[in-house]
Amino acid sequence: MNAEEMIGREDLIINRDGLGQLVRDWLAKDKPLAAPKRIKDDLVQYALCTDFDEIMLDGFVHPDNSIKTFLFPRHEKLYHYETDELGRITLEDSNFGEFSQLLLGVRPCDAAIVPILNHVFNWDLKDSFYNRRAEGTVIIALGCTTCDANCFCTSVGGAPDGVAGADALLFPTSDPSVFAVKVVSEKGAHLLAKYCAIGTAAPKAAAEVPVRFDMDTVHDWLKENFESPFWEEESLSCVGCGACSYTCPTCHCFDIMDEKNGLGAGWRVRNWDYCQGRQFTLHASGHNPRATQGARQRQRLTHKFWAYRDRFGTVLCTGCGNCIRRCPVGLGVLPFAKKICELAKKS
Amino acid sequence: MKNREEVVEKLRASAREMLSNKTVDVVIGWGCVTPEQTVATPVFVKSPDDVELLDWNEKCYGNLAAYMTRKEVRALGRVALMVKGCDEKALVVLRRESQIDPSNPPRVIGIACDEDGLGCAKCGTCDVHVPRFADIVISGVTPVPENVPVPAEKRYERLSEFMKQPRENRLAFWMKEFDRCIRCYACRQVCPLCYCERCIAERNKPQAIDSSATPRGNWSWGITRAFHLAGRCIGCGECTRVCPAEIDLSLLNLSLANAAERSFEGFRPGMDPDREGAVGAYSRGDSEEFIR
Ligand code: SF4
Ligand code: SF4
Ligand code: SF4
Ligand code: SF4
Ligand code: SF4
Repeated sequence: MNAEEMIGREDLIINRDGLGQLVRDWLAKDKPLAAPKRIKDDLVQYALCTDFDEIMLDGFVHPDNSIKTFLFPRHEKLYHYETDELGRITLEDSNFGEFSQLLLGVRPCDAAIVPILNHVFNWDLKDSFYNRRAEGTVIIALGCTTCDANCFCTSVGGAPDGVAGADALLFPTSDPSVFAVKVVSEKGAHLLAKYCAIGTAAPKAAAEVPVRFDMDTVHDWLKENFESPFWEEESLSCVGCGACSYTCPTCHCFDIMDEKNGLGAGWRVRNWDYCQGRQFTLHASGHNPRATQGARQRQRLTHKFWAYRDRFGTVLCTGCGNCIRRCPVGLGVLPFAKKICELAKKS
Repeated sequence: MKNREEVVEKLRASAREMLSNKTVDVVIGWGCVTPEQTVATPVFVKSPDDVELLDWNEKCYGNLAAYMTRKEVRALGRVALMVKGCDEKALVVLRRESQIDPSNPPRVIGIACDEDGLGCAKCGTCDVHVPRFADIVISGVTPVPENVPVPAEKRYERLSEFMKQPRENRLAFWMKEFDRCIRCYACRQVCPLCYCERCIAERNKPQAIDSSATPRGNWSWGITRAFHLAGRCIGCGECTRVCPAEIDLSLLNLSLANAAERSFEGFRPGMDPDREGAVGAYSRGDSEEFIR
């Protein structure tokens, strides 16, 4: 089958053996492949895999991290600097080289971050680090047949069988060894061409993810209630950590640091940063424009549901639910959004 | 949980009383949970009309003593705090470390656990099911049960098992664990005894610990966090519960607790309010030369 013909077809399938072959062929090229993997009894993460058997294609709702880490890693060396005896400085860019990786078994709410993050990483500056990775990545998504109480993709324009950001989508069928395949991009077609077949298999029902709040209501309320006492009240229990931001697929703030590598030398690096920490906006003078947790939670919510949407036309949230699952105190964006909708109804 | 409704009723009643007669401005307790929720969100109740928000259930994991040092919470005025027996130990340490204003101490509402506690690993070796110093102790059974001592061998069983492995394996284990650290600092933020205004992990003039989530940075952070809590950690296990990477911080904490108990004549942080801390206290009788 030629690649173009595959895109958009409704009658493609791949079986487990085909998928296993695809994985082995990919790994044989010595290229990285990440997929959901059981790390510990109570931990499933997207992680590098070296064997098809490590890859989880069922038995979890959403991994405890996100694919963000493969597009925008928690730590990235930007360049190296070195000072010689005369004080002359030499800079050396991080060597990019060829980059190609496969992300397999990606939940639709994770794949969906690509078109979202493309905006901010190509806005005023083209971020070569992100773009290089995004361009060199093939995403084979895996649709959801189950969800939990924290999933809310359908409230932010996504779907458990959504294809946004994916190069192809696999969907479980009534036969556990067969997946229905939807090819979305040429990249996906080229990768899958050899392993897919034309055939019919009844896809399982997609997870029924209820719409849990109204996105427009949240957007409008945020815009009109910047000074609301709601923020201080509702943020008292928030401990101000990075668990929500760092397990979130769409949070993309970073900090630039210099890190020593011996005397007079080191790397300029960028690391993830989180807006819920006190230090995030702390000025050198000691002044902090976001002095309280309330101000910081307001920042997280307004950035996601108002500011980003007004600037780029899309909310900065795919409804994956990780911020709720991993919050030490049971917060995250969903409880806030629900409460906001209640308040909006009252006023 | 035995007689849970009764416990809840009692704790709401005492909260109502304290708020109505204005002994306190806010009661900090655990909230109600839906079956899907994995943890009870702490609630800050300021009006006697809102005490229904308070609850006691098997998801009351949070160690609310952590809120005592937060600026936003201090600004609320006089506090009543709900604690379990394990949480209460943190208050003992905080008091010793002068983190609690003696002129405005919290009113403490202690909730006694059943034998199984909350069913966490720590509950299996807990010897403080019943809060010991609280102003009020609410229990599902009368009379309030006595705390039962747990022998050290049992408290450190998990550690001794781990220590049976050869050194290389233990090193490999921690390499793998720390490798997953994303430096979210949830472990620090929930810890009642990590209250530094500016954590050493965030100091950058000069930088003491790489903020990068690299092996070097993560080791520095993981070890420093544990060391800063040596002889202070009361073993509430919150750091471990909240870690999004499921790093077994408790095992590390246990090792330091064991060192403190062995080296400081059976010292266990938060157990004895009259005893000086293992760190932070100075005496001319100390055996170390450098301190004199
Ligand atoms: S804000 Fe929460 S639900 Fe939305 S994408 Fe981030 S982690 Fe997922
Ligand atoms: S909302 Fe939860 S995860 Fe996010 S900073 Fe607050 S306590 Fe941490
Ligand atoms: S450790 Fe003890 S006091 Fe704490 S929750 Fe478990 S049983 Fe209760
Ligand atoms: S280090 Fe962990 S177990 Fe120890 S007091 Fe802090 S949160 Fe509790
Ligand atoms: S909570 Fe876990 S991942 Fe986060 S900083 Fe602590 S050890 Fe690292």
